[in-house]
Amino acid sequence: MAAMAEIIVPDSRRCINFFLYDGSKVKGEGDPTRAGICYFYPEETPLDKQELLCGQLAGVSRCVSELSSSPVRLLRLRRSKFAIRMKDNFLWALSCSVEIPDVSICDFLDQLINLFSFYNGPIRQSYQIYSQEDLAVRWTQYLSHLQGGATELHHIFSVLSTIDSTHIDPLLLLKAALILQACQRCPLVLAGCVLYCGRVVSTQMPPDLTVKVMVHEMETYKQRPNGLSSSSSSGSTPLSSPVTSTTVFLTTTELQYLRSAPVDRESRSKSTQSTPKESNRPRKSRLLSRTLSDTPTTDPLDPDPTHYVPLSFHYPSTPQSTIPDESLFSPSPSFHTPGPLSPSPIKVAPETSGHNLSNGKLYHEVEEGVTGSSYDHSYNSIDGGRDESGLAEGGRSMQNKDLRHINGQNGGSIVLSGERAGALWFSGQESPEPGSQRMGNVKVFKEKEGQGSKGLLQADTCDVPPYSPSPGENSTEAPLLPMSLYQHRVRGLVLALLVEPDFHSNTVATEEVYHSSLASLNGLEAHLRTTALGAPGPHGPYTFAHFDCIQNTLTTNLSGRPGGAQECSFVRATSLLHSHFSHTEALQEAIVRSAGAAVYGTRSVAQETYFLQKGGAVRNSGIPNHQDSAFSLPSKARHRLMKHGVNLL
Amino acid sequence: MKCLLIASESAEVLFYWTDPEFELNIQEQYGASQEEGEKPPAFEDSINTLFAPIIISCSTMVDRLGDSYTSFSTENNHTYVLHQFEECLYIAVNGDREEGEEDLKRKIYVMKKMIEVLFGMVTLSSTLIRKELRPQDTEQRTNLWKYLQNLLETYSRLQEQDQSFLVEAVERLIHPTLCEQCIEFLERRLVQQINSSVERAGEEVLHAFILVHTKLLAFYSSRNASTLTSSDLLALIVMVQNMYPSNIDLEDTAPEVGALRVKEVEYHTLSECFGSLITVSCVCMAEDSLQTLEAPPPDPSNPSRVFLEVTLKEGCYPMMPHSMYCLPLWPGITLVLLTKIPNSNLAMSVYVFLEAFAKLEKRLSEGLEGSAARGQTSIQDLRNKLDKFIRALGTSDIQVGEDTIIIFSILSPSSCPSSIPFLSPPSLREKLMDWKDFLLVKSKRNITMVSYPEFPGLIHFIYVDRTAGQMIAPSLNITDRATSELGKGPLAHFIKGKVWGLVNTSRIYLQKGYSTVTLRDGDYFFCYFLWFENETGYKLEVKDLPILPNDSAPIGMLAWDYYRKLLRYYSKSHQGEVVKCYELLTVHLGVIPTEYILQHCSQLARKLWEPSRIPLL
Repeated sequence: MAAMAEIIVPDSRRCINFFLYDGSKVKGEGDPTRAGICYFYPEETPLDKQELLCGQLAGVSRCVSELSSSPVRLLRLRRSKFAIRMKDNFLWALSCSVEIPDVSICDFLDQLINLFSFYNGPIRQSYQIYSQEDLAVRWTQYLSHLQGGATELHHIFSVLSTIDSTHIDPLLLLKAALILQACQRCPLVLAGCVLYCGRVVSTQMPPDLTVKVMVHEMETYKQRPNGLSSSSSSGSTPLSSPVTSTTVFLTTTELQYLRSAPVDRESRSKSTQSTPKESNRPRKSRLLSRTLSDTPTTDPLDPDPTHYVPLSFHYPSTPQSTIPDESLFSPSPSFHTPGPLSPSPIKVAPETSGHNLSNGKLYHEVEEGVTGSSYDHSYNSIDGGRDESGLAEGGRSMQNKDLRHINGQNGGSIVLSGERAGALWFSGQESPEPGSQRMGNVKVFKEKEGQGSKGLLQADTCDVPPYSPSPGENSTEAPLLPMSLYQHRVRGLVLALLVEPDFHSNTVATEEVYHSSLASLNGLEAHLRTTALGAPGPHGPYTFAHFDCIQNTLTTNLSGRPGGAQECSFVRATSLLHSHFSHTEALQEAIVRSAGAAVYGTRSVAQETYFLQKGGAVRNSGIPNHQDSAFSLPSKARHRLMKHGVNLL
Repeated sequence: MKCLLIASESAEVLFYWTDPEFELNIQEQYGASQEEGEKPPAFEDSINTLFAPIIISCSTMVDRLGDSYTSFSTENNHTYVLHQFEECLYIAVNGDREEGEEDLKRKIYVMKKMIEVLFGMVTLSSTLIRKELRPQDTEQRTNLWKYLQNLLETYSRLQEQDQSFLVEAVERLIHPTLCEQCIEFLERRLVQQINSSVERAGEEVLHAFILVHTKLLAFYSSRNASTLTSSDLLALIVMVQNMYPSNIDLEDTAPEVGALRVKEVEYHTLSECFGSLITVSCVCMAEDSLQTLEAPPPDPSNPSRVFLEVTLKEGCYPMMPHSMYCLPLWPGITLVLLTKIPNSNLAMSVYVFLEAFAKLEKRLSEGLEGSAARGQTSIQDLRNKLDKFIRALGTSDIQVGEDTIIIFSILSPSSCPSSIPFLSPPSLREKLMDWKDFLLVKSKRNITMVSYPEFPGLIHFIYVDRTAGQMIAPSLNITDRATSELGKGPLAHFIKGKVWGLVNTSRIYLQKGYSTVTLRDGDYFFCYFLWFENETGYKLEVKDLPILPNDSAPIGMLAWDYYRKLLRYYSKSHQGEVVKCYELLTVHLGVIPTEYILQHCSQLARKLWEPSRIPLL
């Protein structure tokens, strides 16, 4: 369990202070600043210092954002700097030492905010549902999770912890990928990942989503009894069960991405009824097994392989009773097995946003197309499920046509019913009657200024940006959609799946997923346990770091322990170069040399690599000299890094 | 959208400069909060109100956290840089992405430098500088601010257009013969002649130099003068450019033969008139140097009071008063004389006292009780010396109290300058007459890449001798009329952008201790090298350079001489040896193999080393 010890130790603190400040609570002259402080880290900070920081930074931020007509992003002081997010009346601020690159600290804050919304939903709403103390526990938990990165390099790049794939039988990675693919055969499963001891073995999700999923896993792994956790064991299994589920909130872009992932939904739902409408839909014929080469593109003329069309925008969910068990998990003829962290670089192009459920245009299309058909469980059927669940209780009948109405007035009361509604949404206890058409039901929460206190139930018509873990995605007005996180633990190994909210009420589906993966998980766990994890990489006469920008993974032979002078200068140079790369698009390679060390950095669209050749400082004068050893670094890096699987050619 | 603001701790505006966009933005914001029909407030008041919360928060943070803001940035990429010098808070804002944080920091430091050059030791006292920067009289204030605003704009223009202000080193016109002749002329016909004249009324010419636009043609210092630092020389060039701007567009239209001739005649007669005018006005001149600040087209006979660093055997005296006489020979060609004023010894004494008091204060504030006895004798000592000094002053008609602050005011810019007769400029004009056109063209195309055919693929370079504070670089002309090898228009603009970016990048790495940087950026390959040599050209081994904190002063020579400190730092390990520091920046086409590029760089460094050996002074 060496690996575990390594990840739990929170070493160099990335965050000095963090606070969430609600300016709406401090309006009048007499209002004390403390009334606006929702959370302050470290919590033991004296209240007057908390008030000082919150008051000053919030004041200055407001003043600057008024002058520039734009929210503040970064406040720098002599000894620390604050990444800032401002939204509505909320202000998040996270400070770190001045040495950490701006881009890294801003990413960190966005991650933290997004993590919070992932588990708790929109900020304003969660502060209405839960007590400040309860949420404080969560902020602390998320902060400690995000700070738990292994080394300073991990902080610079904000990377995912992965198992060292060079020390693992590739077949195990394949196996993990296969488990995930098998689970995905259930149409209620969106995507998943396999984690081992807090590290990613295989994932189908984009990196920023994987990070979010890992928090819960880490917490349960540490066995920290947490009374307020919103997770609840699914009905059929006892509390000690290895299976848990939690309500989580996805942004529309995240959801859209997952739904458009290159999984052949057609094949897994082929036995479900297909309406003439759907079969008439012009579609390219697709192989059951998909490879990158047959990636569908929206526009055949568009050579960009990153433009994906969602494979089926009518999510082929069917009343569970009709799902033939065989079809759920029947193995497909062949698998495409991508790399250890599988999803290929995918970005949902803007064009595909037309398929987004929250796109007004689509909304109408669907509405027209499916009225009265068996597709009333489709995205537009927000009313359908509602009637059966919470809203019916409230005695409100929500008609499709009345969405605006709901949005405007009744919607408010739904959420304002506070704990009850919260419990309803977050507990996963809404057990629908058999045949209830809740699949694909979507509850869209949207916060709006002035209406922030009312969670809104609406199909929003805003344009959804292309998927990219853009800074502060959640801090913009992206609506959040509740989904469910299913986790199945086998000792250190966890299978985490993002599933549709009604997955848990579907006994057939849960049992199938559980049983079909159980054996494989046990086998995988046994294999991984016997493989030495976290063994230090080969220490050659060089230091390197290879950052995969798509998968957010880092390969390095730098140990987490504080190293010598050369290691320090490697980290310093890497931090500077990463910062430089991040704001200079055309920059491809750089060599920087101080008296003690020369570092080579190179980057492409998908990766950044840094390399330092160790050895006694060669005497040099700094005058241009082509025989200088610093200039042979590129060829050395190419040569040396081959055996680490880094190809710089 | 740009702005620079100086405010006191009590949020009083001591100076502001904005570009039209920023002004509009402020007015719109203010207009929004205005009642209908109400008259919009004065711009100064609006800017004050809008920035007040930031200014007040700054002092709160210092008082209560012991930390201060250094910069803000917003999602739409507006940048605010803040820096506190004593009790004056400087805030620079950019909202059009043309300037980064480092640029703004540099602007703040340069503004502070210019204020030091203009106001001298007054800047050491917050109370006094507040009064100086914000005169009670509205008209006086408007005039002063206008002058400072122009100065800042001139600096910004030079920093954007002129490579020598990009790297902050003086560029010389490369013409050894002419240079030599001019130096000889400055020495024999000008400095010696004036200094031996009886009419000079106690003034003494220390330095004389000729500028062709921003480039230095010749420089002569009298034998007993201290060296003029690069920082001061660059600041003076900004002032000269502010007085007699070289309007690039105007210059470019000049080379039309007919027009040229007419102009020449005009200027010739004009300058003759000036010559006599100066002689006449010198006799009856006695006035406030602030007048030079007020009138935009200044009378060349009016010297400006400038405060420059003086290093003598006894020590280093920053901000010693000098008079600067600026004489335009022709548009673009200016003769500058720097004189020592009669009461400059007084200034030195005052500085010595100030320094002693500062040391004393520091000791006392550190609460060194053990040294209390020693401190007391020192206070007593100082007191006696000060009494003696004041008694000595009593003979003059200056009103002196025990308070040293009053002595400050003697040395403030408003004290009366004396003047020296200018007799020689007409003869200098005659001497340079034949060269005039050549010089003006030469200043645009000092050296060109055509002279370096042995380096195929080399697009541009800048070579800087940091010990001498001088640079050499091929001209980068981006105006339509003047073409360089890069042609004109977009390509030249593009390369210029790259060069400016490279200089900024190299500074970021240098600040963190990296003396060699190579970058492959798109289709180009950039190199930056910094190295040390001894006097004979022997390359000295590279040493760990200091790693500076992010909020340290900008690297350069104009506002804060980083290289002087670097040389001092490096010399510690090379006692008894003269250490020289050089920099080379190159831009190559990316298709050239790296080993050739590096070979070029090393050959280029060797080649450029030669002409820089020509003695200047």
